[in-house]
Amino acid sequence: MKKENTPKAEKKKNGSSAAEKKNESAEAKKTEAAEAKAADAEEDGEVNADDLFKHRVSINMTPENSWFSASEGGLISLKIINAEGEEESFERVVIRRSFPVTSPDEFLSVREPDTRAKGRGSEIGMIRNINIFDKKTVDLINAELEIRYFTPIIHRITSAKEKFGYNYWEAETSAGKVSIVLNNPFSNIRVLEDGRIYIFDMDGNCFLIPDPTKLDRLTYRTIEIYL
Amino acid sequence: MKLMYDLPEKDRAAYDAAASPDEILMYCVPFNVLDEKFVKGWTAVTDRKIYCILDGAVLSSYELERCTVFSTEVLYGNCAFYGVVDGVTTLICQFLSGRNLPRYSVLVQACEDLAKKRREGLEPGAPVENKENEHFCPKCGRPFIPGTTICPFCRNSAEVYKKLWGLTRGLRFMLFFPLIVSVVSLAIQFILPAIQRTAVNDYLTNESIRPVGSFLEDEHTRAFLLIFLAIISIDLVQRVLGVIQSRLSAIAGNKFTLMMRTLLYEKISTLSISSISHKSTGDLMGRITGDVNAVQAFMTGQLPSLFTQGASFILALIFLLIINPIMSMFVFIPIPFVVWLVRRFWSTMQNRNRKDWVLGYHVRLFLQDILNGIRVVKSFGNEEREIATFHRRTDRHAAQTESNALLFDTFFPLLGFVTRIGSYLILFYGNYLLFKGTMNYGDLHQFNSYANIIYGPLLWITGIPRQISAFLTSLGKVLEILEEQPEVADINLPIDIDIEGDVTFDHVTFGYDSYNPVLEDINLTVKKGEMIGVVGHSGSGKTTLINLLMRLYDVTDGAIMIDDVNIKDISQNALRSQIGVVLQETHLFSGSIRDNIKYAKPHASDEEVIEAAKLANAHDFIVNLPDGYNTMIGEKGYSLSGGERQRVAIARALIHNPKILILDEATAALDTETEKLIQDAINKLAKDRTAFCIAHRLSTLRNANRLIVLDKGHLVEFGTHQELLDKKGFYWRLVMAQRQDSGMLDKADKLLKAKQATA
Repeated sequence: MKKENTPKAEKKKNGSSAAEKKNESAEAKKTEAAEAKAADAEEDGEVNADDLFKHRVSINMTPENSWFSASEGGLISLKIINAEGEEESFERVVIRRSFPVTSPDEFLSVREPDTRAKGRGSEIGMIRNINIFDKKTVDLINAELEIRYFTPIIHRITSAKEKFGYNYWEAETSAGKVSIVLNNPFSNIRVLEDGRIYIFDMDGNCFLIPDPTKLDRLTYRTIEIYL
Repeated sequence: MKLMYDLPEKDRAAYDAAASPDEILMYCVPFNVLDEKFVKGWTAVTDRKIYCILDGAVLSSYELERCTVFSTEVLYGNCAFYGVVDGVTTLICQFLSGRNLPRYSVLVQACEDLAKKRREGLEPGAPVENKENEHFCPKCGRPFIPGTTICPFCRNSAEVYKKLWGLTRGLRFMLFFPLIVSVVSLAIQFILPAIQRTAVNDYLTNESIRPVGSFLEDEHTRAFLLIFLAIISIDLVQRVLGVIQSRLSAIAGNKFTLMMRTLLYEKISTLSISSISHKSTGDLMGRITGDVNAVQAFMTGQLPSLFTQGASFILALIFLLIINPIMSMFVFIPIPFVVWLVRRFWSTMQNRNRKDWVLGYHVRLFLQDILNGIRVVKSFGNEEREIATFHRRTDRHAAQTESNALLFDTFFPLLGFVTRIGSYLILFYGNYLLFKGTMNYGDLHQFNSYANIIYGPLLWITGIPRQISAFLTSLGKVLEILEEQPEVADINLPIDIDIEGDVTFDHVTFGYDSYNPVLEDINLTVKKGEMIGVVGHSGSGKTTLINLLMRLYDVTDGAIMIDDVNIKDISQNALRSQIGVVLQETHLFSGSIRDNIKYAKPHASDEEVIEAAKLANAHDFIVNLPDGYNTMIGEKGYSLSGGERQRVAIARALIHNPKILILDEATAALDTETEKLIQDAINKLAKDRTAFCIAHRLSTLRNANRLIVLDKGHLVEFGTHQELLDKKGFYWRLVMAQRQDSGMLDKADKLLKAKQATA
């Protein structure tokens, strides 16, 4: 099946000038790939091996092709027009941030949930920027994201002890008072270039300090040495 | 693991009000997050419903018979527990991963089971029990030291000391005699000022005494001489005692370190892979070297100091009060201020030094990272950018170091002045008393000597709690390893069998954590001499299967039999000495090739070495090296190529003529030609051995008698190449996928040719 393609491609190239070579070969690649694919499909006949590894085509989600709604279970349902132009709906979708730290509102990946039976869910589509949707949808998605990316903000550290190589903090956060235990502060306190501080504790919590310069003295002194 | 918590009173009341009297409470576990707040709620599962209870109210309840699938999902900073109620996925609650993920993972299974039973009208049965260790202290709720069940807060430190006492057996005299010596030496030190006082008062400042006769006849002169000799001999005795003490300490400390290190190393070597793999190499090395050193330094350095410093403080205090109680007030008045100031200074310095260390660490880290990847940096032409980054980091570090040094050099001398405030006050008041005539010069001198002594111990003792805590941590880490029980242990009377090579997996289930099975219900029988290929996607449990066969871990359920003997009954030594293993990442030890091949059989003859090397297709390249089999490899030696290393490793696995051979991706990293060589080697040696061969590249397995196909921990297919292809199942898909890949290669080749044609 592949042999037939070669002469065509070569014929094309023979006529091209040196300057055009680059363009030509890229074009040739494209044509060839397409032709090869078609040939593949023909040859395999009854069972197409290609179909076995076919994945869902992720769409660029806009208010024109995607409709989000609250599901009965308090999660998010979705109806889309998929890449083939067919309408498709999902009882529940999962929304993940591609850049939870640097661009939380952009490049949201809307996915089928992972299940034990089917394994990893595939991407249904991507929201380039959440603000292209109407307020109701934005609120709905944000509420889901708030649950998924639960990152309380530390307002104040009221007590800090270091014992046995662990750090024991008592802190007031946006989610209430909490005891934080850190086992390796140098790797579990991460400072971003813009000054934000992420703290990961042994419970699997993630805390955020948006602006360390606005902290009170004790809190600042506690974290200062890790910055 | 606790799956049935006691509900607090008001939550209990809420539950009682909501549940019908004949409902049976099966599980009760906490949930931690609701509406972006931390809460203390409870998920209660009965035989017919799930309740979420918070602050004395039932927030929601779900009937189990309407639920089908349950699941957990790890979110960012917390986890979620979902249930499908009437076909609609519903968020039941949110909880913290560290504390409760294992609990909810059990609950997922348990709830599905209960729901099914409920629908089918069966009895709910007894609640599932889980023997997994808790990771958090049940007393105080703080996390245990990872990998242990030791809570640093609730741990009895008396017990730690007792264990330390047990460890010092045989060294006690050596460790504690220096303590006695140093106390004696200290007592003598306190006599010195008293003698000096006598000398000053009775002889130096006593106007009435002036030598009259010849030097030796005069009794005052003789007395003076005596005092002079006493002072010298005290000094001498003190120094001799010091020498004795230091020598004993050095010997005792060294012996103690040696003993601890040997014990630790022995223990780590005998621990099972499962315990060791929880800890990093760096951590283990740290414990053998760093922590042992810290314990030893405390035992032979800080502990005797604690004794002497404490004793000298008390003695000085007593003497001061005896000589002049009023004047001693002048010593004490500045103490709180001085101690506060000194501690403040040191804590600031410590923080700053730590920061300095961290910045230095970042520089080192950066260097390591970049120098290791220097080829990447150069190939992307990013030298300038990396130089700039390096500048930024070193500059920050340098600035911190400079600022620290400036602060220290300014305040440290001033600190010396402050600590002497007491002395100035004494000088002032003492001189006043001297003028008045109520005190003589000798007393003042003695008093001043003691007053100078008192500050040293005082400042030293303020730092001791920190040192003790550091010492206890190090000791705890050392003890933890010493006390750890190997998870995989031989039974009481293990059998040493000569393995023939029949292998049976009988309903084998295994998970590194019991709630998360990696292999489920594997059944297969392999006859001796068969070559078995193991295929499947990454993460499907191939390597785990092999680890179980080597008994690096014990199966959770079921049994693995070799020649119809459960491998748990075979001694680990006998088992592993008859299994040869070649891994993808080969580790050869520094030393000669000959030593490396002989590693599995130290008394092997040179003939055997060559025989094994020939089998592994390694002989030819080894002989062509200038030093032949004596070529040194490793850090300082000749560097072998990947294929060469692999072949040496195969020779090593073959030398003790193993009955079972395991190749875990042994050829994955090699080029096709080298793979061919190794393939040939493998085919040669797989003849009368049972061989298990894991491979991604299916072509590697074309000589396999049968293939095991694993998917997500399940044995999906098992049979010969042809059988599996005819089935058009999982294996067929894998083959098709790889054939597509090679199709891509063909296309790439063609494109390349086309390009060349135009050029």
